[in-house]
Amino acid sequence: MRRIKKLKINHEYEFELDLAPLLAVMVKLVPVLLLSSAFVQMMTIETQLPQVVQQAIEKQEKDQKATQITLEVKDKEGVKIIVKESGKPETVEVVPKASNGTYDFALLQERLREVKKHHPEIFKIDLSPDASVSYKDIVRVMDEARRSRDNKVRFPVFDKTTNKETQTDYMFPEVTFANTMEG
Amino acid sequence: MRRRFELPKQKSTFGLNITSMTDMFTILLVFLLQTYSTSTVELIPEAGLRLPQSSSNTNPVESIKLVVSKEVVKIDKTKIASMKNADFEAKDIDPNDTNFILPLFNELDKLAKDEKLKNDPAVKEGRILLQADSGLPYSVLRKVMYTASMAGFPQLKLVTLVGE
Repeated sequence: MRRIKKLKINHEYEFELDLAPLLAVMVKLVPVLLLSSAFVQMMTIETQLPQVVQQAIEKQEKDQKATQITLEVKDKEGVKIIVKESGKPETVEVVPKASNGTYDFALLQERLREVKKHHPEIFKIDLSPDASVSYKDIVRVMDEARRSRDNKVRFPVFDKTTNKETQTDYMFPEVTFANTMEG
Repeated sequence: MRRRFELPKQKSTFGLNITSMTDMFTILLVFLLQTYSTSTVELIPEAGLRLPQSSSNTNPVESIKLVVSKEVVKIDKTKIASMKNADFEAKDIDPNDTNFILPLFNELDKLAKDEKLKNDPAVKEGRILLQADSGLPYSVLRKVMYTASMAGFPQLKLVTLVGE
């Protein structure tokens, strides 16, 4: 009787993977990526706004009687929030500086959220900083005004294309330097 | 008779172990992919210039690049004016208008009237990418904004670093 030859499988067999082509690809990729790398990421402050918000801003620009909100960044007092509503007296609220002499940005954000809740149709504000206020603080004020940091707080905005009300976290994304032309 | 000493026979070629090198390249590749820039505009930060940090996340668009540091004012790489004590020098300011920076206006006006740049959208729409030092007072920025808008560049985009 013919004996069946037993097939031997060597489970201990080891082989070395040829990594040379992979390395060749990597060597080519590294200089390409090195050239196109940005080690310092820079952005611009003027943002591309969602279309719904953009439409609301355009509407506000056309409406001469729209509520006017001004932020006066004072060197000593803090930030003054002035709301001018047509047919109503002007309201002024001051966000004082913190005890360490810096601006209280958390409180400012809170106050701005309150203003936005009362005027959800307003997206544009005027900014009037004092001459001695640093650029860093101005950028920070703009940051606080742009969006709500509280994820639970959203503001209603009417979408013309769908005829429905949607929610946005944008508060006052459009900032105009009101005192640029002053002497 | 004395036997002649012979070296054991060796292969003339040898396989280089590149596993560790591949590991290193993989880590390097991941790091470089993370820092890969998708922006079309190349912004080179000026030496000694400290940009403010902002939560804004919009990539810069092609515009005239204006740098205002504590020492110098530049358009692209050309020096326009010098700064002294974080302010413009008296000779660069118009005596009749304290907000008007003469060399900046002249340079921007030259760009606005340049025939070669006539169809450039940055010049056409009057866009400026302003890289200003975070420590500068608003009075300096106001002068820059005022002069730029006078020269026909009203769209000022403030360059900031990514962060909170």
